[in-house]
Amino acid sequence: MSSENALETDVLVIGGGIAGCFAAIKAKEQGLDVTIVDKAYAGKSGASIAAQIFWMVFNPEWTDNFDELMDTFVKSGEYINNRDWCEVILKDSLAIYQDMVAWGVEFHPDWSECIHMFPPFTGIRPKFRKAAPVLRKQAEKVGVKIIDRVMCTDLLKQDGKIVGAIGFSYDTGDLYVFKAKATVLTAGGSSYKPPQFAMRSITGDGEGMAYRAGAEITGKEFLTTFPTIASYPLWGRVTWGYLNLFPRFATDGEGNRALPFSDYLEPGPEGFRREWKLNWEFLVHAGRGPILWDLTPVTDDDIKEAQRAETKSGYRAIEHERIGLDLNQRGKIPIAGGPAGYSQAGQAGVWVHDTKCTTSLPGLYAAGDCGGTRYNGSFLTNPGLGTSGSAVTGRRAGGAAAEYALQVEKPVIAKEEIGRLKKLVYASAERKSGFSPRWVTQLLQNTMMPYFILYIRHGERLQAALTMVEFLRDHLVPKLTAKDPHELRLAHETKNMVLSAEMMLRSSLFRTESRGLHYREDYPRRDDPTWLAWTKVKDERGRMKVSREPVPKEWWPDLSKPYEERYDLRFPGEFVE
Amino acid sequence: MSIERIDPELCTGCGICVNSCPMDVIRMDEKGEKAIIKYPEECMCCDYCELDCPVDAIYVSPEKYAPLMVSWC
Amino acid sequence: MSQARVVETDVLVIGGGIAGCFAAIKAKEQGLDVTIVDKAYAGKSGSSIAAGGWWMVFNPEWGHDHDASMEDVTVNGEYLNNRDWDEIILKEAWATYRDLVSWGVEFPVASDKIEGYWDTYFTGPRAARAPNLPWGIVPLRHRKTSPVLRTQAEKVGIKIVDRIMITDLLKQDGKMVGAVGFSYDTGDLHVFKAKATITSGGNNCFRSPGFHTACLTGDAEAMAYRAGAEITGKEFPDTHFNLANYPAWKSNAELYAAYMYFTDAEGESINGTVGFDLFMEFAVHAGRGPVIWDLDAAAPGDVEAMREYVRKRANPVEAERIGLDYTRGGKYPCIGGSAAGVSSQQTSGVWVVDTKCATSLPGLYAAGDSCGARVCGASHRGPGFGVTGAAVTGKRAGLGAAEYALQAEKPVTDEKELARLKELIYAPAQRRSGFSPRWVTQVLQNTMIPYFILYIKHGERLQAALTIVEFMRDHLVPKLMAKDPHELRLTHETANMVLNAEMILRASLFRTESRGLHYREDYPRRDDPTWLAWTKVKKKQGRMNILKEPVPREWWPDLFKPYQQRYPERFPRE
Ligand SMILES: Cc1cc2nc3c(=O)[nH]c(=O)nc-3n(C[C@H](O)[C@H](O)[C@H](O)COP(=O)(O)OP(=O)(O)OC[C@H]3O[C@@H](n4cnc5c(N)ncnc54)[C@H](O)[C@@H]3O)c2cc1C
Ligand SMILES: Cc1cc2nc3c(=O)[nH]c(=O)nc-3n(C[C@H](O)[C@H](O)[C@H](O)COP(=O)(O)OP(=O)(O)OC[C@H]3O[C@@H](n4cnc5c(N)ncnc54)[C@H](O)[C@@H]3O)c2cc1C
Ligand code: SF4
Ligand code: SF4
Repeated sequence: MSSENALETDVLVIGGGIAGCFAAIKAKEQGLDVTIVDKAYAGKSGASIAAQIFWMVFNPEWTDNFDELMDTFVKSGEYINNRDWCEVILKDSLAIYQDMVAWGVEFHPDWSECIHMFPPFTGIRPKFRKAAPVLRKQAEKVGVKIIDRVMCTDLLKQDGKIVGAIGFSYDTGDLYVFKAKATVLTAGGSSYKPPQFAMRSITGDGEGMAYRAGAEITGKEFLTTFPTIASYPLWGRVTWGYLNLFPRFATDGEGNRALPFSDYLEPGPEGFRREWKLNWEFLVHAGRGPILWDLTPVTDDDIKEAQRAETKSGYRAIEHERIGLDLNQRGKIPIAGGPAGYSQAGQAGVWVHDTKCTTSLPGLYAAGDCGGTRYNGSFLTNPGLGTSGSAVTGRRAGGAAAEYALQVEKPVIAKEEIGRLKKLVYASAERKSGFSPRWVTQLLQNTMMPYFILYIRHGERLQAALTMVEFLRDHLVPKLTAKDPHELRLAHETKNMVLSAEMMLRSSLFRTESRGLHYREDYPRRDDPTWLAWTKVKDERGRMKVSREPVPKEWWPDLSKPYEERYDLRFPGEFVE
Repeated sequence: MSIERIDPELCTGCGICVNSCPMDVIRMDEKGEKAIIKYPEECMCCDYCELDCPVDAIYVSPEKYAPLMVSWC
Repeated sequence: MSQARVVETDVLVIGGGIAGCFAAIKAKEQGLDVTIVDKAYAGKSGSSIAAGGWWMVFNPEWGHDHDASMEDVTVNGEYLNNRDWDEIILKEAWATYRDLVSWGVEFPVASDKIEGYWDTYFTGPRAARAPNLPWGIVPLRHRKTSPVLRTQAEKVGIKIVDRIMITDLLKQDGKMVGAVGFSYDTGDLHVFKAKATITSGGNNCFRSPGFHTACLTGDAEAMAYRAGAEITGKEFPDTHFNLANYPAWKSNAELYAAYMYFTDAEGESINGTVGFDLFMEFAVHAGRGPVIWDLDAAAPGDVEAMREYVRKRANPVEAERIGLDYTRGGKYPCIGGSAAGVSSQQTSGVWVVDTKCATSLPGLYAAGDSCGARVCGASHRGPGFGVTGAAVTGKRAGLGAAEYALQAEKPVTDEKELARLKELIYAPAQRRSGFSPRWVTQVLQNTMIPYFILYIKHGERLQAALTIVEFMRDHLVPKLMAKDPHELRLTHETANMVLNAEMILRASLFRTESRGLHYREDYPRRDDPTWLAWTKVKKKQGRMNILKEPVPREWWPDLFKPYQQRYPERFPRE
């Protein structure tokens, strides 16, 4: 173990998903030396390789509805979107799309029908697993260095500036020290290794590293929800595959249609277009579960349509066969709750100050799922904004990091600092006794994943979960063990997930209201203007401090309008028959 | 970690295993002719059924499994 | 579903394990009509069919010493043992053993070879040191005791009704007059009207992976609690462990006696007595885990002892199936919580007010693991007390209940009460939506089983777990649903486990000291005389109330003796 590899680069990009690749390519354009490091294989890991459905493009030639889109952003994000970013995402998205076309990303052949898939947004649909790998190729083509299978564990800091990162190879166990003039953090979102969504490689490492280096993390109270098939929770792809069947055929346990959110919305034609978010959790909590995917009323035409869409998107029917899912047999399939702990780009992440992805730490830029750009606000405005938002923010971060790198000197890093971080890298491997990362992860999942912690929140329950997570943090995490470099990766991931859980719990406790995807049973309504604000957590002398950052007044809703007009989604109890 | 199979070729349908199982995992099939694994989720891997079956038709696996936590269901 | 079947009997025995069978046979001797009802097959369920260890006997002719025995139980039980009951157990143990012999129970060794069997048996260099027990223990054959008791019960004319899950006790004018339940085969309602009722439904567990007590879900204590009885001793957990990869491995007696050699992960040997205490949990909590059962250190004598054990007492296929070959050595990680949720035997249960097993509810008697006779106090006194205690309390309860029944009128049941209970039984089956009992059970296990909740306790963590358990109680349990009668059983079991979890947590929070098997990180020492007392939980206006019942002064230790002499067992940092 631990032969040492020291690498120097101008711009270091940690994580080579959509955001990382766009960042690297952009930085490279400035003529700099750029390196991507990824804990798996860049372009084939993270949310980017799992994403499958929709990629938002705003093209005035297709639809000239900029104002409507801004309005949708704000209404669905419930006024805590960063509107500057919303504009940037919309405006930059076309160029991103054109890049992808030029680089050879394959799209759904008949994509004109996809343009309107999630109105009022428009977009395109890359083929399954056909976008991120092309981005990697492009990065390689323009001369970006890529180092795969190295897990970064911490950022390097010198005189208050971020000057690279440290990590290790889980193949050889070797140490990697990356010295960089500027660092872009695009290591993805966080999760608790959920049994769904194919995203167990995403463990909040980016936020964890930034937090430990002193950055602020925002929006941890807002999570994505997505259900899966109960008996095969790992087969998330199946549910994605038949996505378009889902909203129409879900029922609650009593057989009532369970349109996502529809119970709390005027049942207009656009009802379920705003994504099925907490509605199923509300139903389950009200004792109306299980949610069933009731295929009995499905017509032959529906099935043909679904199968056609399947084939086109490039899924393999084998998945369905393997779990014995045959649409023709109809049947009722129970649905379970999903991707625990995941939040997307524009929801949670490292707080950025401007539309250049600058963080509070000089030299550090954050983008994609781990950038706290807040364009989604409290909700997930649209399913196409994760991919395109990651691309846009990534590109911006790459540009800004390059600008910064051009101005700064080559970093010198104190030996002691490297020594200190190196010790942290291998601490678990040195320990011969303690706790296995797999077991601690299981405990964390058990604590965090029940719907009544993750989605339907209550101060008392959050506090109870926090007590457990604090115990994990103080007692188990410092004694994690690793028998080999693979387990060393697990140990670091576990540590980051525990940290991420603490952030989520503290932010959720702090936000004493309900808004968007954050629902508190004990505070079941929005609280304007107190909570027209973002939460931030930050390390302060070893303790996690939560603070509130107000949304600028000019972005507030018109408070003279009645509550019902400001907020068209109803939380349980707000629903008036 | 649960009962894995009851061999229908061997099973004589005596019904002993149904009573041996404190967990109500095993029932007789609809015709009452063969024992079947009806509710494997409840198996506690105690082996009682296997030990009591006069014709050795039952196999209980000792391997550990842990159910996955999901948000609800 | 739900055709009512009504059974009338003089004495109803709920649960046909060792306690239930002894109780029934004793009651029958008084010439009464006696019925056993069991949720599985009486004689083949519960702890009684799982137990394969030892039957405790006391016989001065075999050289057993009364005073030494009393002293041993008392020091080990850390002064929370009920000495009246200990006297009774010692006195009556021999007769229960004679009963077994006369009813045809087979033993692995002839009775004239029993004396000293323990010593000859665990002969390997690393066998558990045979504790110098002042009483005797008779080896049992796995699965060969309780089925014989059932046969005997049938022989003397006791009616046995199997596969009926009893859900609640029947009450009339403050008296207990039977019970209600249902068949999970047919779904039919069963009403048992009785002059006296004995609850011998065994222990609780959270469907833990080992120990084979997953069928025991604290039903007895839960029913009694709902009817208004007091439940004692819930803070004392059983601490059995097992092999990590084979958590349900059965012939684990090797682990516990024939070859007791454990190390921490660094290879440092760690000590334990016969395995009923917390030594593994302490090592793990200190970050010295995983605990390893180190077969590499076995000497030829150890290997022989293990072989001998398996040959005589266990099922050799089991070791084979998990690829365990004693001669080849190996290091096997151990896990805790193999019996998670089980209370230390002869400690917890329905509080009994006299030595006839009467409870605070007239007409209700408690026996066996569900009898709160506190025979062993704060810590388990090793092999034998479980089964023998079950037999002795069973016999006493049988007699007590029979005497009561002889004087009682035939009960008239209140139809309104019956209707209420019936509704409770079938409510989950009526629900078409809600929560599945399997998921709720899993959530409960996840909340309760981690070692830092169940064994290494701390007020904050207990409180956190209680918050979750209260949520389950208030929000999930009332919405449990069942698709068929099998699942209906699961829903009632789940509700009872949740109730038991609440009892365990509240009793553990209440006892602000450490004693025996109850260890609080935040109160790491015994606190005399404040906690020379028992805990009791009791329902009061729908809420769980917790009380302290002092141990009589004459049973206190000599408080002038230094702490170290009063308590030979040391908690960490003592
Ligand atoms: C199943 C699924 C479906 C989705 N569908 C859509 C959709 O249809 N439309 C949409 O707009 N959005 C969708 N999203 C969201 C969208 O995919 C993400 O917002 C976007 O891909 C995020 O890109 P990213 O580059 O920021 O992060 P990621 O793609 O997650 O990339 C992070 C990278 O960082 C690496 N990494 C992580 N930790 C470390 C470390 N410690 N050291 C080094 N490298 C590290 C990872 O290996 C990975 O390659 C979906 C997400 C999922 C999970
Ligand atoms: C693996 C194992 C090994 C042991 N080894 C020893 C040993 O070596 N020596 C020793 O002294 N002790 C030992 N014990 C403890 C001892 O077995 C018990 O203390 C004793 O058997 C308890 O007997 P019981 O009749 O009170 O309860 P159980 O035997 O548990 O009987 C309870 C009965 O009640 C029935 N029941 C439960 N709920 C309901 C309901 N709702 N409706 C109807 N019926 C119900 C069950 O089906 C069961 O038949 C061991 C225990 C276990 C689990
Ligand atoms: S005990 Fe054996 S033979 Fe008898 S029913 Fe069961 S499986 Fe068949
Ligand atoms: S192993 Fe035990 S619980 Fe499992 S089916 Fe057999 S008797 Fe039932």
